[in-house]
Amino acid sequence: MKFEFGKITAIVALVATFGTGATAQDYPYRDITTAVVWGAGGGTDTVNRMIMAEMEKHLPVSINVTNQTGGVAGSNGMVYVMNQPDDGYTLVGLSESNVTAAVQGGWDQKFDYWYPFIVGGSPDLISVPADSPYQTLQDLVDAAKAAPGTIPAAAGGAGSIHHLNLLAIQSGADATFKFVPYKGSAPGQEAAIAGEVALVVTSLAEQAALIEGGQLRPLAMLTPETAEIAGMTVPSAFDIYDGLDAHLPLKQAIGFAVHNSASDNVKAILTEAFDKAMAGDTVKEWAMANNYDIGGQSGADAQALFSKLEATFAYTLKNLGSTTVDPMSLGIMKP
Amino acid sequence: MDFILIQLTGFGGEFMDLVTDPLTYFYLILSVFLGITFGALPGLTATLAVTILTGFFGNKIPLDYSMIALLGAYVGAIYGGSYPSILLNIPGTAASAASAMDGYPLAKAGRGGEALGLTTTASFIGTLIGTIALLIFVWVLLLMSKNIASPEKALLALFGILLSGTLMSEDLVIKGWIAGLIGLAMAMVGLDPILSEQRYTFGWSYLLSGFQVVPVLMGAFAIPQIIDGMRYAKIGQVIELQGRIMPNLAAIKRYMPTIGRSGVIGTGVGALPGVGEDVAGWVSYGVGKTVSAEGDQFGKGSLEGLLSSETANNACIGGALIPLLVLGIPGSPPAAALMGAFKINNVIPGPTIDPQIILRVVAIMVLASFTMFLMGLFTARIFIKILRIPKTIFLPIVMVLTTIGSFSVGGGINDLYLMLGVGFVAYFMNMLKYPIAPLVIGVILGGMFDETFRRTLLISDGDFMAFASRPGALILLVLNIALILSQIPITKRLFAHLKRKVA
Repeated sequence: MKFEFGKITAIVALVATFGTGATAQDYPYRDITTAVVWGAGGGTDTVNRMIMAEMEKHLPVSINVTNQTGGVAGSNGMVYVMNQPDDGYTLVGLSESNVTAAVQGGWDQKFDYWYPFIVGGSPDLISVPADSPYQTLQDLVDAAKAAPGTIPAAAGGAGSIHHLNLLAIQSGADATFKFVPYKGSAPGQEAAIAGEVALVVTSLAEQAALIEGGQLRPLAMLTPETAEIAGMTVPSAFDIYDGLDAHLPLKQAIGFAVHNSASDNVKAILTEAFDKAMAGDTVKEWAMANNYDIGGQSGADAQALFSKLEATFAYTLKNLGSTTVDPMSLGIMKP
Repeated sequence: MDFILIQLTGFGGEFMDLVTDPLTYFYLILSVFLGITFGALPGLTATLAVTILTGFFGNKIPLDYSMIALLGAYVGAIYGGSYPSILLNIPGTAASAASAMDGYPLAKAGRGGEALGLTTTASFIGTLIGTIALLIFVWVLLLMSKNIASPEKALLALFGILLSGTLMSEDLVIKGWIAGLIGLAMAMVGLDPILSEQRYTFGWSYLLSGFQVVPVLMGAFAIPQIIDGMRYAKIGQVIELQGRIMPNLAAIKRYMPTIGRSGVIGTGVGALPGVGEDVAGWVSYGVGKTVSAEGDQFGKGSLEGLLSSETANNACIGGALIPLLVLGIPGSPPAAALMGAFKINNVIPGPTIDPQIILRVVAIMVLASFTMFLMGLFTARIFIKILRIPKTIFLPIVMVLTTIGSFSVGGGINDLYLMLGVGFVAYFMNMLKYPIAPLVIGVILGGMFDETFRRTLLISDGDFMAFASRPGALILLVLNIALILSQIPITKRLFAHLKRKVA
């Protein structure tokens, strides 16, 4: 297997060298493909389709968005793009959840293999079912302090961004819940409505319809800012518990990336198109309508953000015992 | 009242969207034609038609359109099975097995055209009955399903696997259960859903994401069919069709009660998890034989017998979609393939499914049944010609299509090894008369059972009473236990004994 892999890479490299030698035209002269590592219709897919349509307007070519799902933490799609030439014609659509692919054995690269662009993410919040006895975050935390580890909480799968947020609020408020893993945010929210768990931590975008429909009651945002939804102001947990800023915010980072080994010219042209797209009204309106916060970081800034997420995720997963590769062996330092 | 109005306008909106979109007709006509062809060719089933299209369209075109293609093929294939049943005395699909009982004698008596006209109309009305039931019951169930949590889901999944095993077995019920358990075991492979531990992966990264649904479906449903078909590649004698294929309106009117009854039975059987069109056809035929005044004519060329099975197997489609959309539990084997299509599009059927999808499914079903009706009346002769294509030509083509479809979903060679592996196992299971549908239902529902069962115990700190502490769960637990007990020899004998005492 290893041998074949080497052979394929060699051929790809060879073709790529000849390819660039023969056609010394300006980038981009043919269509770009973005392979999203998560499924069609999900958050990362939607964000990529939106931003690529905007970036097209500032580039002389079209951008096709496809999906390459599967593997561990989206590793199939990342390996696929890794094996494509680093000429900027194949981009990868990804999110913060992909940073765990390496420590979970999906692939063998640190995340700085990529040169990322961050469109944004939706902030996490803590909510309870509409008929819950807990009216405020304090009620909930006091109940958890009175009976540590008994109140069931949904927050996506083990090691997801939502789980990390739950762990952070636990350390910040000094309370322990009983974490119940779900495959994704939607099943966890369904479980909260069905009364199986007492609280749910997912993103505002994912909860919006349920809060507006009166099925979930928002208690607190896990960001320094408050939020307005369904005629309510959701308070920030930062104003309730001091010292949360040591653990939070841990925000989603959805966007796309090109090989870090791509030429400076490619990076510059993509950054220019990205910046123009992000400055446009369409992106702002989209973010507003879908409860997203706009990011806009690219290059070194985005890499720094992702490497912080990578370290936080890697060591949290290691403590949970669900890493297969030691983060240290990949060169990921403790946060 | 408001609620019904909102539903009707929602449905109307979706319907108009479909009708005014020219692409709809492209997918609809193509898929219904393909469906009828698959149904008409003996050895190719509705499940296979939907599975292959899932492979081809599942993640290549937007879900909105792939749903048209899949549902069109589903409706077409269930109907198409009636052609060889009537003209060859060989059921095109298992769903039409009961139709051959009366259809063939009718064709032999020179009433083939009349029989085909009637089955076309009956299939059309049946599909509509199932679809109306889908529109109504899906909302009722959706309201209830808000209270369905892990214990109920675990017990429902188990019930689906057991029930499918019970009803799909040809001889011993235990064989169906064994097949279901093999499927359940296959579902355990990969990262476990609660703790993300690796299970049965043998360090092979391909197995980390578990057995993929589409290759398993292809392997289980396509490979054994193809091998079997090639082994007995004998073409039957197609009876020359006499008379025009027209619905006999007087007969339809006279048999309306039969059609209505069969539609309701078909929908009901369809709604049972994992039990499909073939069972619906037989049950309805059986009921018809008992209650009908001309029951003694069944099997000798009775129009009523033909209508009983043909209405029911098409009504079953709508029924099968109810548990699929509300609970993520496929109501029939082709619905399992549809589930695969939803899965690869990241749509998780369940209480929080987008209501728009349900309305769209209903609108597509209505359009598909009309398309099927018109094709049945005007292009029937093409399908009769298709019956003459030898198996040795079309089966290899289907094998190629299956392989491409299986490969194209995941894009990995390992998927093909998986498909072939499952296929050979499934072939030998078929030979030993182990039903294959419960295995597939086991693979699909196994993951759900595993996850919800263990989560229930996690929340209750390992207390098994959690499965009896909620009213819904208690009912389902009793149903599960009753189903198992009903098949155990001791209880069977006990029941027989009690019966005799009472009598």
